[in-house]
Amino acid sequence: MIATGQARRSHRNEAIATWILRSASLFVIGAMAFLLVYLTFEGTKTFFVDGVSPFEFLFSTNYQPDMKHPGALVFIVGSLAITTFAIAVGGPFGIAVGVFLSELAPKSMAGILKPAIEVMVGVPSVVYGWIGLSLLVPLMRQITGGVGFGLASSGIVLAIMILPTVISLSEDAFRSLPGTLKEASMAVGATRWQTIVQVLLPAASSGLTVAVILGVARAIGETLAVQLVIGNATILPAGLFAPTAALTTEIITDMPGAANNSPLEHALFSMALLLLLIAMVLIVFVRFALRKRN
Amino acid sequence: MTKNAAFAAIVLGLSLVAPTAVFADSSITAAGSTALLPLVKDAATAYQTAHPDVKISVSGGGSGTGINQVAAKAIDIGNSDIQAPTHPELKDNKVAVIGFSVIVHPGVGVKNLTKKQIQDVFTGKVTNWKEVGGADQKIVIVNRPRSSGTRAVFVSTLMAKQAPSESGLTEDATGTVITTVKTTPGAVSYAAFSGTKASGLPELSVDGIAATDENVTTGKYPFWSYEHMFTNGPPTGDVSRFIAFVQSNSALAKKNFFILIRDMKVTETDR
Amino acid sequence: MTTTAPTAKIASSTSVKVRRFQDRLATAILWGMASSIIVMLSIFVIYLVWIGARYITPDFLFGLPKETEPGGGIGPEIFNSFYILILTMFFTIPIAVSAGIYLQEYAKPGRFRDIVQFSAEALATVPSIVMGLFGLLIFIYTLHWRFGALAGALTMTVVNLPSLMRVTQEALNTVPNSLREASMGIGATRWQTILQTVLPSSIAPLTTGVVLVAGRIFGETAVLIFTAGLSVSINAPYDFSPGHTAETLAVHTWYTHSESIVPDVDRIGNGSALVLLIMVFVFNVGARLVGRALSKRFTGKVA
Repeated sequence: MIATGQARRSHRNEAIATWILRSASLFVIGAMAFLLVYLTFEGTKTFFVDGVSPFEFLFSTNYQPDMKHPGALVFIVGSLAITTFAIAVGGPFGIAVGVFLSELAPKSMAGILKPAIEVMVGVPSVVYGWIGLSLLVPLMRQITGGVGFGLASSGIVLAIMILPTVISLSEDAFRSLPGTLKEASMAVGATRWQTIVQVLLPAASSGLTVAVILGVARAIGETLAVQLVIGNATILPAGLFAPTAALTTEIITDMPGAANNSPLEHALFSMALLLLLIAMVLIVFVRFALRKRN
Repeated sequence: MTKNAAFAAIVLGLSLVAPTAVFADSSITAAGSTALLPLVKDAATAYQTAHPDVKISVSGGGSGTGINQVAAKAIDIGNSDIQAPTHPELKDNKVAVIGFSVIVHPGVGVKNLTKKQIQDVFTGKVTNWKEVGGADQKIVIVNRPRSSGTRAVFVSTLMAKQAPSESGLTEDATGTVITTVKTTPGAVSYAAFSGTKASGLPELSVDGIAATDENVTTGKYPFWSYEHMFTNGPPTGDVSRFIAFVQSNSALAKKNFFILIRDMKVTETDR
Repeated sequence: MTTTAPTAKIASSTSVKVRRFQDRLATAILWGMASSIIVMLSIFVIYLVWIGARYITPDFLFGLPKETEPGGGIGPEIFNSFYILILTMFFTIPIAVSAGIYLQEYAKPGRFRDIVQFSAEALATVPSIVMGLFGLLIFIYTLHWRFGALAGALTMTVVNLPSLMRVTQEALNTVPNSLREASMGIGATRWQTILQTVLPSSIAPLTTGVVLVAGRIFGETAVLIFTAGLSVSINAPYDFSPGHTAETLAVHTWYTHSESIVPDVDRIGNGSALVLLIMVFVFNVGARLVGRALSKRFTGKVA
């Protein structure tokens, strides 16, 4: 009697627990789906309500959203440029430190480096921006003689901000390689450096791709740190040290003041949708890279 | 775990359906124009000190933000340098007048510009200060964002409705404009007296007329506007009392270089 | 250098000497790069301490912010940071941990698990400003809430779901399958196994992860700018009411500069930046200490 009652109760508990846990998972799907649907709805008003062609939105530099000319090319180029800068600097650097951590670092060094990287992850973006504004911008102004704000300044800040992501993911990528690879290479007389370049790097390439892609995702979505140092000029950058603007900085600059249902608001939501789509494409790339590995 | 999840779900559900009851309290939220911000912030401090039961929080964001958010009922008072013709439901409470000035980095060596020269500088026709009688220094335009009331007043008065060139920098607020002009050689921008007068930056005369409160009062200096505190419908209760307090406090107005409306000798149509 | 360079070109892979030199050079460069990270972080820390330490006084930490005059403090902002942090965790932990348990312990490999995993990863990659806009649209413009802690915390809940879910999955992953099998072997149901065996033995990494995520909530800015408000009232600085503007410390650091209306912007910016950095250290060290303490207590019991 008691035993069956208990069994029935635990069976019921099991069912309830499964239901709750499953609902929580559904919530995650729901949140993402809702976000996607809502932003798609708001973000396509530029095209369906204001009658702007997607071609104009993507490839025109004529940004006068109030006149229904929301050419966002400046911001798209700006976002891509600072992201490329950040990856060009932070990508190889991060991978190198990842190699170092997995292949070279003695325990004592790893013991300092790893907590340092963890702290770097935790430093709020507004603090990176503040350091950029109060240290980097004046420095760039002195070095280049320009205004200090601009593409290079934001690229440097972003490069530093993506380092922890790239480092820890590439370290993981190297660590997940089978030890036999390395032993075989060393056995035929290759130096450690040759082993790294000729054997480990190619073998870890899909993991490293993931590291770089997630670095890109981090860089392209960053807002505050960039806004403080990019200069926010609605103009294609006239050089590495010239001010420009990015998708995220334009959103944060004009969104609070954009009137409800105005062409400007629609344009800004289109940009937010573009950022969301870029994020999703990057995730698909990551999945693809991971599948190749397995 | 189970209990927590269930409880969270209940709280989440409740907070989604019954938010208004939770949020009803005697607080005033104001946001918008950063030109008007110093006056409203000072007034909020004084008013709250006198009325300890009233909670007021004031932030900036620009005139567009003020109008937009009060229209959406996200805030109680939308501060603005400009009118809100697209929102007939908003009640326009004019509280004061403010003058604006064209400010430059101290190194450019210019004290006065004609209206025409200002337009040439800001449309990018002139790119070096030596072309308008200053030092050999590249001009760096510092703009406010599109939703800025200060920018709108600047465009409709000094610029004769021509859009300023976007090739320079853009700064969010009156305060950041001043910081940027101070630290960037060759910089030029426009901002309200409430920010410029205490900054120590050179303020340009326009067609020989100095940017002073007196020249604004008499209408000789054209770059000024009414300051509005919009409410969604006629203001009531504490909101109404607070707006009346801002409208009538001449000491605070003077401290922040505002002009009370009753002291003006001209109106906006004369500008 | 000048003599070995041409030889390196001609016989790059044959000469042992050159290869050894390359290896040493590369090792040195890698050491240099790794050290430069530490140097860079040290520069940040020293710089922030140098510009900010003199401002960190009790008046600054516990005082009220000033609206237009110099000498304002950040007391209410620190309060709001913790308030929103706790509120966010209150909503996030049940959902994220449940979802993590489901994926790791219940779901069989298949389409449903793939979709949840994909949603979580996509959600993690969404720029925080897009999340902020989303919160603004939903809570402020559609549901007509006021800017405040609740709108901020609920938006932050969505932002932090994926990271906390991942933390849960990784923590559960550290529990050896033999433990589960042993528990099921003596007749426990799956849920009982999780509750009595799996969760206690993964509590240490789980808690460490939760504290680290909490640290990130403390520093979040873009999301809260659009949802939680940009100021506090001097008559109710420490305000639990969920619909009253709740400016956090990170937001204050950005906003003080952005609005730049008090004359001592640099003092507040520098001081707040240092306080934020100190909090990052506190959360990092705290996470380790808590994790270590818990693992001592629980692994002793279970294993």
